[in-house]
Amino acid sequence: MTSYLDANVPSRSEHLWRYTPWSRVHPGAVDTVPQVDAASIKTEDFELGTSAVKPLPTSDIARIFLNEVLQETTTIDCDDKYGHIHIHAGGHAVATHLHFTCNTASNIVIHLHGEPDWFGLALTGDINANAQLSLGVINELSTDSVMVRVDDWSLHRDARFELATLSMGGHRNKSDIRSTLKGSNSSLKQFIAVHGHGTRHDDHHIEIHHQQPHTNSHLLLNAACDDRSHSIGTGALTIDDVAQHTDAGQIFRNLLLSPSSRAEAIPELEVLANEVAAAHGAASAPINKEQLHYLMSRGLSKEEATSMIVEGFLVDSFTGLDSEHVREAMQTRLTVHLECQLIG
Amino acid sequence: MTEVLLRVENLHVSVGDTPIIQGISLEMNRGEIHAIMGRNGAGKSTLANVIMGHPAYQITSGTIHYKGKNIEDMEVFERARAGMFLSFQYPAAIPGVQVGTFLRKSVASVRGEAPSPRAFRQELNEAMKQLDMDKSFLSRYVNDGFSGGEKKRLEILQMLLLQPHLALLDETDSGLDIDALRIVAEGINAVAENTGCLIITHYQRLLDLVKPDVVHVLIDGKIIESGGPELALKLEKEGYDWVDALA
Repeated sequence: MTSYLDANVPSRSEHLWRYTPWSRVHPGAVDTVPQVDAASIKTEDFELGTSAVKPLPTSDIARIFLNEVLQETTTIDCDDKYGHIHIHAGGHAVATHLHFTCNTASNIVIHLHGEPDWFGLALTGDINANAQLSLGVINELSTDSVMVRVDDWSLHRDARFELATLSMGGHRNKSDIRSTLKGSNSSLKQFIAVHGHGTRHDDHHIEIHHQQPHTNSHLLLNAACDDRSHSIGTGALTIDDVAQHTDAGQIFRNLLLSPSSRAEAIPELEVLANEVAAAHGAASAPINKEQLHYLMSRGLSKEEATSMIVEGFLVDSFTGLDSEHVREAMQTRLTVHLECQLIG
Repeated sequence: MTEVLLRVENLHVSVGDTPIIQGISLEMNRGEIHAIMGRNGAGKSTLANVIMGHPAYQITSGTIHYKGKNIEDMEVFERARAGMFLSFQYPAAIPGVQVGTFLRKSVASVRGEAPSPRAFRQELNEAMKQLDMDKSFLSRYVNDGFSGGEKKRLEILQMLLLQPHLALLDETDSGLDIDALRIVAEGINAVAENTGCLIITHYQRLLDLVKPDVVHVLIDGKIIESGGPELALKLEKEGYDWVDALA
Protein backbone atom coordinates (compact mmCIF):
# COMPACT_ATOMS: atom_id res chain seq x y z
CA MET A 1 0.00 0.00 0.00
CA THR A 2 1.27 3.49 -0.82
CA SER A 3 2.90 5.20 2.15
CA TYR A 4 1.80 8.74 2.86
CA LEU A 5 5.33 10.05 3.21
CA ASP A 6 6.23 8.53 -0.18
CA ALA A 7 3.23 10.07 -1.90
CA ASN A 8 3.44 13.35 -3.73
CA VAL A 9 1.62 16.28 -2.22
CA PRO A 10 -0.81 17.35 -4.95
CA SER A 11 -0.42 20.78 -6.47
CA ARG A 12 -3.27 23.22 -6.94
CA SER A 13 -3.27 22.47 -10.63
CA GLU A 14 -5.06 19.22 -9.78
CA HIS A 15 -8.81 19.73 -10.11
CA LEU A 16 -9.53 18.04 -6.77
CA TRP A 17 -7.24 20.35 -4.79
CA ARG A 18 -7.62 23.56 -6.71
CA TYR A 19 -9.78 25.46 -4.24
CA THR A 20 -8.69 23.78 -1.01
CA PRO A 21 -5.04 22.69 -1.09
CA TRP A 22 -4.16 19.60 0.90
CA SER A 23 -1.77 21.65 3.03
CA ARG A 24 -4.74 23.66 4.35
CA VAL A 25 -6.66 20.63 5.56
CA HIS A 26 -3.80 18.44 6.79
CA PRO A 27 -3.72 18.32 10.63
CA GLY A 28 -0.14 19.63 10.79
CA ALA A 29 2.84 20.03 8.49
CA VAL A 30 2.18 18.16 5.24
CA ASP A 31 5.39 16.13 5.51
CA THR A 32 4.35 14.62 8.84
CA VAL A 33 1.93 11.98 10.07
CA PRO A 34 0.80 13.25 13.47
CA GLN A 35 -0.87 11.24 16.22
CA VAL A 36 -4.54 10.83 15.38
CA ASP A 37 -7.00 9.46 17.93
CA ALA A 38 -10.18 7.49 17.37
CA ALA A 39 -13.55 9.23 17.68
CA SER A 40 -16.30 8.08 20.02
CA ILE A 41 -19.15 6.42 18.12
CA LYS A 42 -22.49 5.73 19.80
CA THR A 43 -25.95 4.64 18.88
CA GLU A 44 -28.89 3.48 20.92
CA ASP A 45 -30.74 2.13 17.93
CA PHE A 46 -28.71 -0.88 16.76
CA GLU A 47 -25.47 -2.85 17.15
CA LEU A 48 -22.18 -1.60 15.73
CA GLY A 49 -19.27 -3.88 14.84
CA THR A 50 -15.56 -3.24 14.57
CA SER A 51 -12.88 -4.70 12.39
CA ALA A 52 -9.31 -4.04 11.37
CA VAL A 53 -9.06 -1.05 9.10
CA LYS A 54 -10.64 -1.71 5.73
CA PRO A 55 -8.24 0.06 3.40
CA LEU A 56 -9.54 3.01 1.44
CA PRO A 57 -8.69 3.28 -2.25
CA THR A 58 -5.29 4.93 -2.68
CA SER A 59 -6.50 7.23 -5.41
CA ASP A 60 -5.64 10.50 -3.68
CA ILE A 61 -3.62 11.99 -0.86
CA ALA A 62 -6.49 12.28 1.66
CA ARG A 63 -7.34 8.59 1.43
CA ILE A 64 -3.67 7.59 1.62
CA PHE A 65 -3.28 9.72 4.73
CA LEU A 66 -6.38 8.30 6.39
CA ASN A 67 -5.20 4.76 5.66
CA GLU A 68 -2.20 5.47 7.86
CA VAL A 69 -3.93 7.16 10.77
CA LEU A 70 -7.14 5.15 11.09
CA GLN A 71 -7.06 2.64 13.91
CA GLU A 72 -10.09 0.52 13.08
CA THR A 73 -13.22 0.39 10.98
CA THR A 74 -16.68 0.51 12.49
CA THR A 75 -18.96 -1.80 10.57
CA ILE A 76 -22.71 -1.44 10.20
CA ASP A 77 -24.78 -4.25 8.73
CA CYS A 78 -27.73 -2.36 7.33
CA ASP A 79 -30.46 -4.92 7.63
CA ASP A 80 -33.58 -2.96 8.47
CA LYS A 81 -31.65 -0.47 10.58
CA TYR A 82 -33.48 2.68 11.55
CA GLY A 83 -31.98 5.35 13.76
CA HIS A 84 -29.09 7.67 14.53
CA ILE A 85 -25.32 7.34 14.96
CA HIS A 86 -23.52 10.00 17.01
CA ILE A 87 -19.83 10.55 16.38
CA HIS A 88 -18.15 12.71 18.98
CA ALA A 89 -14.70 14.07 18.29
CA GLY A 90 -12.42 16.06 20.58
CA GLY A 91 -8.75 16.90 21.06
CA HIS A 92 -6.19 17.74 18.42
CA ALA A 93 -6.77 15.22 15.68
CA VAL A 94 -9.43 12.53 15.42
CA ALA A 95 -10.44 10.17 12.65
CA THR A 96 -13.00 7.48 12.10
CA HIS A 97 -14.09 5.10 9.39
CA LEU A 98 -17.61 3.70 9.04
CA HIS A 99 -18.33 0.92 6.58
CA PHE A 100 -21.90 0.03 5.67
CA THR A 101 -23.02 -3.24 4.17
CA CYS A 102 -26.59 -2.99 3.04
CA ASN A 103 -28.63 -6.03 2.04
CA THR A 104 -32.18 -4.92 2.76
CA ALA A 105 -33.45 -1.43 3.63
CA SER A 106 -32.15 1.04 6.20
CA ASN A 107 -32.60 4.67 7.19
CA ILE A 108 -29.76 6.15 9.25
CA VAL A 109 -28.64 9.64 10.25
CA ILE A 110 -25.04 10.33 11.33
CA HIS A 111 -24.41 13.33 13.59
CA LEU A 112 -20.89 14.76 13.84
CA HIS A 113 -20.31 16.61 17.12
CA GLY A 114 -17.39 17.97 19.08
CA GLU A 115 -14.54 20.44 19.01
CA PRO A 116 -11.56 18.70 17.43
CA ASP A 117 -8.87 20.76 15.74
CA TRP A 118 -8.98 18.24 12.92
CA PHE A 119 -11.43 15.52 12.04
CA GLY A 120 -10.98 12.87 9.38
CA LEU A 121 -14.10 10.98 8.33
CA ALA A 122 -14.23 8.07 5.95
CA LEU A 123 -17.58 6.62 4.90
CA THR A 124 -17.67 3.60 2.67
CA GLY A 125 -20.27 1.06 1.77
CA ASP A 126 -21.75 -1.54 -0.46
CA ILE A 127 -25.42 -1.21 -1.28
CA ASN A 128 -25.96 -4.72 -2.52
CA ALA A 129 -28.41 -6.08 -5.05
CA ASN A 130 -31.95 -4.84 -4.51
CA ALA A 131 -31.00 -3.13 -1.23
CA GLN A 132 -31.93 0.40 -0.20
CA LEU A 133 -30.02 2.78 2.04
CA SER A 134 -31.02 6.31 3.01
CA LEU A 135 -28.20 7.99 4.87
CA GLY A 136 -27.99 11.49 6.30
CA VAL A 137 -24.79 13.15 7.51
CA ILE A 138 -25.11 16.24 9.70
CA ASN A 139 -21.92 18.19 10.34
CA GLU A 140 -22.36 20.04 13.62
CA LEU A 141 -18.67 20.33 14.48
CA SER A 142 -17.31 23.36 16.33
CA THR A 143 -16.72 26.49 14.29
CA ASP A 144 -12.95 26.05 14.86
CA SER A 145 -12.67 22.55 13.40
CA VAL A 146 -11.12 21.45 10.13
CA MET A 147 -12.67 18.39 8.52
CA VAL A 148 -11.60 16.07 5.73
CA ARG A 149 -14.27 13.66 4.56
CA VAL A 150 -13.88 10.93 1.96
CA ASP A 151 -16.70 8.66 0.79
CA ASP A 152 -16.57 5.60 -1.44
CA TRP A 153 -19.88 3.92 -2.25
CA SER A 154 -20.63 1.00 -4.50
CA LEU A 155 -24.14 0.45 -5.81
CA HIS A 156 -24.97 -2.97 -7.15
CA ARG A 157 -27.81 -4.23 -9.31
CA ASP A 158 -31.21 -2.63 -8.50
CA ALA A 159 -29.72 -0.87 -5.45
CA ARG A 160 -31.22 2.40 -4.23
CA PHE A 161 -29.05 4.88 -2.36
CA GLU A 162 -29.99 8.28 -0.95
CA LEU A 163 -27.17 10.32 0.57
CA ALA A 164 -27.97 13.63 2.24
CA THR A 165 -25.44 16.00 3.77
CA LEU A 166 -26.13 19.01 5.95
CA SER A 167 -22.94 20.99 6.27
CA MET A 168 -23.07 23.81 8.77
CA GLY A 169 -20.26 23.09 11.24
CA GLY A 170 -16.50 23.37 11.07
CA HIS A 171 -14.30 26.21 9.91
CA ARG A 172 -12.77 24.53 6.87
CA ASN A 173 -14.19 21.43 5.23
CA LYS A 174 -13.05 19.35 2.33
CA SER A 175 -15.38 16.55 1.25
CA ASP A 176 -14.63 14.15 -1.57
CA ILE A 177 -17.69 11.96 -2.11
CA ARG A 178 -17.48 9.24 -4.73
CA SER A 179 -20.13 6.79 -5.82
CA THR A 180 -19.91 4.07 -8.42
CA LEU A 181 -23.01 2.59 -9.97
CA LYS A 182 -21.71 -0.90 -10.64
CA GLY A 183 -24.99 -2.71 -11.21
CA SER A 184 -27.66 -2.13 -13.80
CA ASN A 185 -30.81 -0.34 -12.71
CA SER A 186 -29.08 1.09 -9.63
CA SER A 187 -30.08 4.56 -8.51
CA LEU A 188 -28.33 7.31 -6.56
CA LYS A 189 -29.86 10.49 -5.17
CA GLN A 190 -27.52 12.90 -3.46
CA PHE A 191 -28.57 16.06 -1.65
CA ILE A 192 -26.25 18.59 -0.04
CA ALA A 193 -27.14 21.73 1.90
CA VAL A 194 -24.35 24.09 2.89
CA HIS A 195 -24.74 27.02 5.23
CA GLY A 196 -21.77 29.37 5.02
CA HIS A 197 -21.31 31.89 7.82
CA GLY A 198 -18.37 33.78 9.29
CA THR A 199 -15.25 32.80 7.36
CA ARG A 200 -16.40 29.23 6.82
CA HIS A 201 -14.83 27.46 3.84
CA ASP A 202 -16.72 24.44 2.51
CA ASP A 203 -15.52 22.45 -0.48
CA HIS A 204 -17.56 19.55 -1.84
CA HIS A 205 -16.21 17.43 -4.65
CA ILE A 206 -18.68 14.84 -5.91
CA GLU A 207 -17.76 12.08 -8.31
CA ILE A 208 -20.43 9.83 -9.74
CA HIS A 209 -19.44 7.04 -12.08
CA HIS A 210 -22.02 5.13 -14.12
CA GLN A 211 -20.56 1.80 -15.15
CA GLN A 212 -23.69 -0.08 -16.15
CA PRO A 213 -26.76 0.57 -18.30
CA HIS A 214 -30.12 1.78 -16.98
CA THR A 215 -28.59 3.58 -14.01
CA ASN A 216 -29.80 6.88 -12.57
CA SER A 217 -28.17 9.61 -10.53
CA HIS A 218 -29.39 12.94 -9.29
CA LEU A 219 -27.28 15.49 -7.43
CA LEU A 220 -28.51 18.72 -5.86
CA LEU A 221 -26.22 21.05 -3.92
CA ASN A 222 -27.72 24.18 -2.38
CA ALA A 223 -25.29 26.55 -0.67
CA ALA A 224 -26.32 29.70 1.19
CA CYS A 225 -23.26 31.86 1.84
CA ASP A 226 -23.26 34.74 4.29
CA ASP A 227 -20.56 37.00 5.75
CA ARG A 228 -17.17 36.11 4.23
CA SER A 229 -17.87 32.43 3.70
CA HIS A 230 -16.83 30.50 0.64
CA SER A 231 -18.56 27.47 -0.85
CA ILE A 232 -17.18 25.29 -3.61
CA GLY A 233 -19.05 22.56 -5.41
CA THR A 234 -17.30 20.55 -8.08
CA GLY A 235 -18.90 17.62 -9.80
CA ALA A 236 -17.38 14.94 -11.95
CA LEU A 237 -19.98 12.81 -13.67
CA THR A 238 -18.71 9.95 -15.80
CA ILE A 239 -20.91 7.73 -17.94
CA ASP A 240 -19.05 4.76 -19.42
CA ASP A 241 -19.64 3.68 -23.01
CA VAL A 242 -21.53 0.57 -21.85
CA ALA A 243 -23.79 2.58 -19.52
CA GLN A 244 -26.51 3.17 -22.12
CA HIS A 245 -29.90 4.52 -21.05
CA THR A 246 -28.37 6.28 -18.08
CA ASP A 247 -30.24 9.26 -16.69
CA ALA A 248 -28.03 11.67 -14.74
CA GLY A 249 -28.33 15.23 -13.55
CA GLN A 250 -26.31 17.63 -11.42
CA ILE A 251 -27.56 20.96 -10.12
CA PHE A 252 -25.52 23.42 -8.07
CA ARG A 253 -27.30 26.47 -6.65
CA ASN A 254 -25.70 29.21 -4.60
CA LEU A 255 -27.45 31.92 -2.65
CA LEU A 256 -25.09 34.82 -1.93
CA LEU A 257 -26.19 36.73 1.15
CA SER A 258 -23.39 39.27 1.49
CA PRO A 259 -21.06 41.13 -0.87
CA SER A 260 -18.05 39.36 0.64
CA SER A 261 -19.38 35.81 0.31
CA ARG A 262 -18.17 33.67 -2.57
CA ALA A 263 -19.32 30.51 -4.28
CA GLU A 264 -17.96 28.33 -7.03
CA ALA A 265 -20.07 25.73 -8.81
CA ILE A 266 -18.37 23.61 -11.41
CA PRO A 267 -20.22 20.57 -12.72
CA GLU A 268 -18.24 18.48 -15.23
CA LEU A 269 -19.54 15.68 -17.42
CA GLU A 270 -17.71 12.95 -19.29
CA VAL A 271 -20.25 11.04 -21.34
CA LEU A 272 -19.00 8.11 -23.40
CA ALA A 273 -22.36 6.46 -24.10
CA ASN A 274 -24.65 7.81 -26.79
CA GLU A 275 -28.14 6.93 -25.55
CA VAL A 276 -28.25 8.77 -22.27
CA ALA A 277 -29.82 11.79 -20.64
CA ALA A 278 -27.22 13.88 -18.85
CA ALA A 279 -27.83 17.40 -17.61
CA HIS A 280 -26.06 19.85 -15.42
CA GLY A 281 -26.72 23.33 -14.20
CA ALA A 282 -25.19 25.92 -11.92
CA ALA A 283 -26.54 29.23 -10.67
CA SER A 284 -25.41 31.84 -8.17
CA ALA A 285 -27.61 34.74 -7.17
CA PRO A 286 -28.46 37.05 -4.29
CA ILE A 287 -31.80 36.91 -2.48
CA ASN A 288 -34.71 37.22 -4.90
CA LYS A 289 -36.20 40.70 -4.39
CA GLU A 290 -39.73 39.62 -5.26
CA GLN A 291 -39.63 36.86 -2.65
CA LEU A 292 -38.32 39.38 -0.12
CA HIS A 293 -41.04 41.90 -0.97
CA TYR A 294 -43.75 39.25 -0.80
CA LEU A 295 -42.76 38.13 2.69
CA MET A 296 -42.28 41.69 3.93
CA SER A 297 -45.76 42.52 2.65
CA ARG A 298 -46.97 39.89 5.11
CA GLY A 299 -45.44 41.70 8.07
CA LEU A 300 -42.01 40.09 8.26
CA SER A 301 -39.05 42.42 8.73
CA LYS A 302 -36.26 42.29 6.17
CA GLU A 303 -34.15 40.12 8.50
CA GLU A 304 -37.04 37.74 9.21
CA ALA A 305 -37.94 37.51 5.53
CA THR A 306 -34.33 36.86 4.54
CA SER A 307 -34.02 34.19 7.18
CA MET A 308 -37.19 32.50 5.95
CA ILE A 309 -35.98 32.50 2.34
CA VAL A 310 -32.60 31.06 3.33
CA GLU A 311 -34.23 28.40 5.45
CA GLY A 312 -36.56 27.48 2.61
CA PHE A 313 -33.71 27.37 0.14
CA LEU A 314 -31.75 24.96 2.31
CA VAL A 315 -34.75 22.92 3.46
CA ASP A 316 -35.68 22.46 -0.18
CA SER A 317 -32.36 20.65 -0.70
CA PHE A 318 -33.88 17.66 1.07
CA THR A 319 -37.39 17.74 -0.39
CA GLY A 320 -36.52 14.97 -2.84
CA LEU A 321 -35.52 12.51 -0.12
CA ASP A 322 -37.85 9.52 -0.08
CA SER A 323 -36.90 8.60 3.48
CA GLU A 324 -39.13 10.54 5.83
CA HIS A 325 -36.87 9.62 8.76
CA VAL A 326 -33.78 11.15 7.15
CA ARG A 327 -35.63 14.11 5.62
CA GLU A 328 -37.23 15.15 8.91
CA ALA A 329 -33.97 14.78 10.82
CA MET A 330 -32.09 16.95 8.32
CA GLN A 331 -34.78 19.61 8.04
CA THR A 332 -35.40 19.80 11.78
CA ARG A 333 -31.72 20.16 12.62
CA LEU A 334 -31.31 22.78 9.93
CA THR A 335 -34.24 24.81 11.23
CA VAL A 336 -32.88 24.74 14.78
CA HIS A 337 -29.44 25.81 13.55
CA LEU A 338 -30.84 28.75 11.57
CA GLU A 339 -33.07 29.90 14.41
CA CYS A 340 -30.03 29.88 16.72
CA GLN A 341 -28.12 31.91 14.13
CA LEU A 342 -30.96 34.43 13.88
CA ILE A 343 -31.12 34.84 17.65
CA GLY A 344 -27.32 35.15 17.66
CA MET B 1 -68.96 58.35 11.36
CA THR B 2 -67.00 57.82 8.16
CA GLU B 3 -63.29 57.29 8.52
CA VAL B 4 -61.04 58.21 5.60
CA LEU B 5 -58.84 55.17 5.27
CA LEU B 6 -56.84 55.99 2.17
CA ARG B 7 -56.19 59.35 0.56
CA VAL B 8 -54.08 59.54 -2.58
CA GLU B 9 -53.33 63.08 -3.77
CA ASN B 10 -51.94 64.00 -7.17
CA LEU B 11 -49.71 60.93 -7.19
CA HIS B 12 -46.97 60.62 -9.80
CA VAL B 13 -44.94 57.40 -9.95
CA SER B 14 -42.05 56.28 -12.13
CA VAL B 15 -40.06 53.12 -12.70
CA GLY B 16 -36.58 54.29 -13.54
CA ASP B 17 -37.09 57.16 -15.96
CA THR B 18 -40.47 55.95 -17.16
CA PRO B 19 -43.51 57.70 -15.68
CA ILE B 20 -46.34 55.24 -15.03
CA ILE B 21 -48.82 57.08 -12.83
CA GLN B 22 -49.38 60.70 -13.79
CA GLY B 23 -51.53 62.45 -11.23
CA ILE B 24 -53.97 60.14 -9.47
CA SER B 25 -56.16 61.32 -6.62
CA LEU B 26 -58.69 59.20 -4.79
CA GLU B 27 -60.21 58.86 -1.35
CA MET B 28 -61.59 55.76 0.26
CA ASN B 29 -63.53 55.35 3.51
CA ARG B 30 -63.59 52.32 5.76
CA GLY B 31 -66.22 49.86 4.57
CA GLU B 32 -66.12 51.08 0.97
CA ILE B 33 -65.28 48.98 -2.06
CA HIS B 34 -63.59 50.74 -4.96
CA ALA B 35 -62.93 49.04 -8.28
CA ILE B 36 -60.23 50.15 -10.67
CA MET B 37 -60.59 49.14 -14.29
CA GLY B 38 -58.51 49.89 -17.32
CA ARG B 39 -56.59 48.44 -20.20
CA ASN B 40 -53.38 46.47 -19.74
CA GLY B 41 -50.51 48.80 -18.94
CA ALA B 42 -52.74 51.61 -17.67
CA GLY B 43 -50.97 51.63 -14.28
CA LYS B 44 -53.49 49.68 -12.16
CA SER B 45 -51.00 47.22 -10.65
CA THR B 46 -48.45 50.00 -10.22
CA LEU B 47 -50.96 51.91 -8.10
CA ALA B 48 -51.54 48.88 -5.85
CA ASN B 49 -47.83 48.16 -5.58
CA VAL B 50 -46.84 51.72 -4.79
CA ILE B 51 -49.50 51.98 -2.09
CA MET B 52 -48.03 48.82 -0.56
CA GLY B 53 -44.49 50.24 -0.83
CA HIS B 54 -42.81 48.17 -3.53
CA PRO B 55 -39.21 49.48 -3.71
CA ALA B 56 -39.08 49.31 -7.52
CA TYR B 57 -41.49 52.26 -7.82
CA GLN B 58 -40.50 55.84 -7.06
CA ILE B 59 -43.03 58.45 -6.01
CA THR B 60 -41.92 61.55 -7.91
CA SER B 61 -44.65 63.80 -6.49
CA GLY B 62 -47.90 63.59 -4.58
CA THR B 63 -48.75 61.81 -1.35
CA ILE B 64 -50.41 58.69 0.03
CA HIS B 65 -52.07 58.96 3.42
CA TYR B 66 -53.32 55.89 5.27
CA LYS B 67 -55.46 56.54 8.35
CA GLY B 68 -54.38 60.17 8.16
CA LYS B 69 -50.64 59.42 8.10
CA ASN B 70 -48.27 59.98 5.20
CA ILE B 71 -46.84 56.52 4.59
CA GLU B 72 -44.12 57.35 2.07
CA ASP B 73 -41.33 56.58 4.55
CA MET B 74 -42.90 53.41 5.94
CA GLU B 75 -41.25 50.09 5.10
CA VAL B 76 -43.37 47.42 3.45
CA PHE B 77 -43.57 45.33 6.61
CA GLU B 78 -44.58 48.37 8.64
CA ARG B 79 -47.47 48.98 6.26
CA ALA B 80 -48.52 45.33 6.65
CA ARG B 81 -48.38 45.60 10.42
CA ALA B 82 -50.45 48.78 10.20
CA GLY B 83 -53.24 46.80 8.52
CA MET B 84 -52.49 47.10 4.80
CA PHE B 85 -52.70 44.03 2.60
CA LEU B 86 -51.96 43.40 -1.06
CA SER B 87 -53.29 40.33 -2.82
CA PHE B 88 -50.66 39.91 -5.52
CA GLN B 89 -51.43 39.37 -9.17
CA TYR B 90 -48.40 37.08 -9.37
CA PRO B 91 -47.54 35.93 -5.83
CA ALA B 92 -43.91 34.84 -5.41
CA ALA B 93 -43.12 31.17 -4.77
CA ILE B 94 -40.99 30.46 -1.70
CA PRO B 95 -39.64 26.91 -2.11
CA GLY B 96 -38.89 25.09 1.13
CA VAL B 97 -41.26 27.22 3.23
CA GLN B 98 -44.44 25.40 4.19
CA VAL B 99 -47.72 27.30 3.92
CA GLY B 100 -48.62 26.51 7.54
CA THR B 101 -45.33 27.87 8.88
CA PHE B 102 -45.56 30.94 6.69
CA LEU B 103 -49.13 31.72 7.79
CA ARG B 104 -48.32 31.31 11.47
CA LYS B 105 -45.30 33.64 11.27
CA SER B 106 -47.15 36.16 9.15
CA VAL B 107 -50.11 36.31 11.52
CA ALA B 108 -47.77 36.67 14.51
CA SER B 109 -45.90 39.51 12.79
CA VAL B 110 -48.98 41.46 11.79
CA ARG B 111 -50.79 41.00 15.10
CA GLY B 112 -47.68 41.69 17.17
CA GLU B 113 -47.98 38.43 19.09
CA ALA B 114 -48.22 34.78 18.19
CA PRO B 115 -51.71 33.34 18.62
CA SER B 116 -51.93 30.19 20.73
CA PRO B 117 -51.46 27.08 18.58
CA ARG B 118 -54.96 25.87 19.39
CA ALA B 119 -56.66 29.18 18.62
CA PHE B 120 -54.67 29.57 15.41
CA ARG B 121 -55.49 26.04 14.27
CA GLN B 122 -59.19 26.67 14.83
CA GLU B 123 -59.06 30.00 13.01
CA LEU B 124 -57.14 28.46 10.15
CA ASN B 125 -59.53 25.53 9.84
CA GLU B 126 -62.52 27.87 9.64
CA ALA B 127 -60.92 30.09 7.01
CA MET B 128 -59.82 27.12 4.91
CA LYS B 129 -63.27 25.62 5.14
CA GLN B 130 -64.77 28.90 4.00
CA LEU B 131 -62.50 28.84 0.94
CA ASP B 132 -63.01 25.12 0.33
CA MET B 133 -59.29 24.44 0.74
CA ASP B 134 -57.85 21.06 1.63
CA LYS B 135 -55.62 20.79 4.71
CA SER B 136 -52.87 19.29 2.57
CA PHE B 137 -52.26 22.87 1.40
CA LEU B 138 -50.57 23.61 4.70
CA SER B 139 -47.66 21.24 4.14
CA ARG B 140 -46.99 22.44 0.59
CA TYR B 141 -44.37 25.06 -0.12
CA VAL B 142 -45.68 28.61 -0.55
CA ASN B 143 -46.99 29.03 -4.11
CA ASP B 144 -44.46 26.46 -5.33
CA GLY B 145 -46.09 24.48 -8.13
CA PHE B 146 -49.48 26.02 -7.38
CA SER B 147 -52.01 26.50 -10.15
CA GLY B 148 -53.23 30.06 -10.79
CA GLY B 149 -56.42 29.37 -8.87
CA GLU B 150 -54.57 27.88 -5.89
CA LYS B 151 -52.37 30.94 -5.66
CA LYS B 152 -55.38 33.24 -5.58
CA ARG B 153 -57.08 31.17 -2.90
CA LEU B 154 -53.95 31.32 -0.77
CA GLU B 155 -53.92 35.10 -1.14
CA ILE B 156 -57.51 35.32 0.07
CA LEU B 157 -56.79 32.88 2.89
CA GLN B 158 -54.06 35.23 4.05
CA MET B 159 -56.44 38.16 3.85
CA LEU B 160 -58.99 36.35 6.01
CA LEU B 161 -56.35 35.54 8.63
CA LEU B 162 -54.59 38.90 8.64
CA GLN B 163 -57.88 40.84 8.84
CA PRO B 164 -56.53 43.98 7.15
CA HIS B 165 -58.06 47.43 7.37
CA LEU B 166 -57.13 48.16 3.76
CA ALA B 167 -57.12 45.37 1.16
CA LEU B 168 -55.64 45.92 -2.29
CA LEU B 169 -56.74 43.10 -4.58
CA ASP B 170 -54.76 42.98 -7.81
CA GLU B 171 -56.61 40.88 -10.39
CA THR B 172 -57.58 38.38 -7.73
CA ASP B 173 -60.23 37.03 -10.11
CA SER B 174 -57.83 36.08 -12.90
CA GLY B 175 -57.25 32.38 -13.34
CA LEU B 176 -60.34 31.39 -11.36
CA ASP B 177 -63.09 29.14 -12.63
CA ILE B 178 -66.71 30.05 -11.88
CA ASP B 179 -66.94 28.08 -8.63
CA ALA B 180 -63.58 29.34 -7.37
CA LEU B 181 -64.57 32.90 -8.24
CA ARG B 182 -67.73 32.59 -6.15
CA ILE B 183 -65.78 31.21 -3.20
CA VAL B 184 -63.12 33.91 -3.44
CA ALA B 185 -65.82 36.60 -3.74
CA GLU B 186 -67.45 35.29 -0.56
CA GLY B 187 -64.07 35.60 1.12
CA ILE B 188 -63.73 39.20 -0.01
CA ASN B 189 -67.25 40.04 1.12
CA ALA B 190 -66.51 38.49 4.51
CA VAL B 191 -63.82 41.06 5.24
CA ALA B 192 -65.21 43.99 3.24
CA GLU B 193 -67.64 45.19 5.88
CA ASN B 194 -64.92 46.63 8.10
CA THR B 195 -62.26 47.03 5.47
CA GLY B 196 -61.55 49.36 2.62
CA CYS B 197 -61.17 47.29 -0.53
CA LEU B 198 -59.48 48.48 -3.70
CA ILE B 199 -60.21 45.89 -6.36
CA ILE B 200 -58.28 45.87 -9.61
CA THR B 201 -60.07 43.87 -12.24
CA HIS B 202 -60.70 43.55 -15.94
CA TYR B 203 -64.04 41.84 -15.61
CA GLN B 204 -67.57 42.60 -14.51
CA ARG B 205 -68.01 38.99 -13.34
CA LEU B 206 -66.21 39.69 -10.03
CA LEU B 207 -68.18 42.91 -9.54
CA ASP B 208 -71.41 40.93 -9.93
CA LEU B 209 -70.43 39.13 -6.74
CA VAL B 210 -68.60 41.90 -4.88
CA LYS B 211 -70.58 45.12 -5.25
CA PRO B 212 -68.39 48.19 -5.62
CA ASP B 213 -69.37 51.57 -4.22
CA VAL B 214 -67.15 53.41 -6.68
CA VAL B 215 -65.66 52.43 -10.03
CA HIS B 216 -62.63 54.27 -11.44
CA VAL B 217 -61.39 54.06 -15.00
CA LEU B 218 -57.63 54.39 -15.38
CA ILE B 219 -56.13 55.39 -18.72
CA ASP B 220 -52.42 56.09 -19.19
CA GLY B 221 -51.77 56.55 -15.48
CA LYS B 222 -54.72 58.89 -14.83
CA ILE B 223 -58.22 58.37 -13.49
CA ILE B 224 -60.36 59.56 -16.37
CA GLU B 225 -63.78 58.72 -15.04
CA SER B 226 -65.29 57.68 -11.71
CA GLY B 227 -68.82 56.59 -11.02
CA GLY B 228 -71.07 53.97 -9.52
CA PRO B 229 -71.41 50.26 -10.42
CA GLU B 230 -73.13 51.23 -13.65
CA LEU B 231 -69.77 52.45 -14.97
CA ALA B 232 -68.38 48.90 -14.88
CA LEU B 233 -71.44 47.65 -16.75
CA LYS B 234 -70.96 50.31 -19.40
CA LEU B 235 -67.28 49.31 -19.84
CA GLU B 236 -68.27 45.67 -20.12
CA LYS B 237 -70.75 46.57 -22.84
CA GLU B 238 -68.94 49.29 -24.76
CA GLY B 239 -65.23 48.81 -24.03
CA TYR B 240 -62.76 51.64 -23.44
CA ASP B 241 -62.96 53.58 -26.69
CA TRP B 242 -65.51 56.06 -25.36
CA VAL B 243 -63.26 56.76 -22.36
CA ASP B 244 -60.38 57.62 -24.66
CA ALA B 245 -62.40 60.58 -25.88
CA LEU B 246 -62.49 61.90 -22.29
CA ALA B 247 -58.73 61.55 -21.77
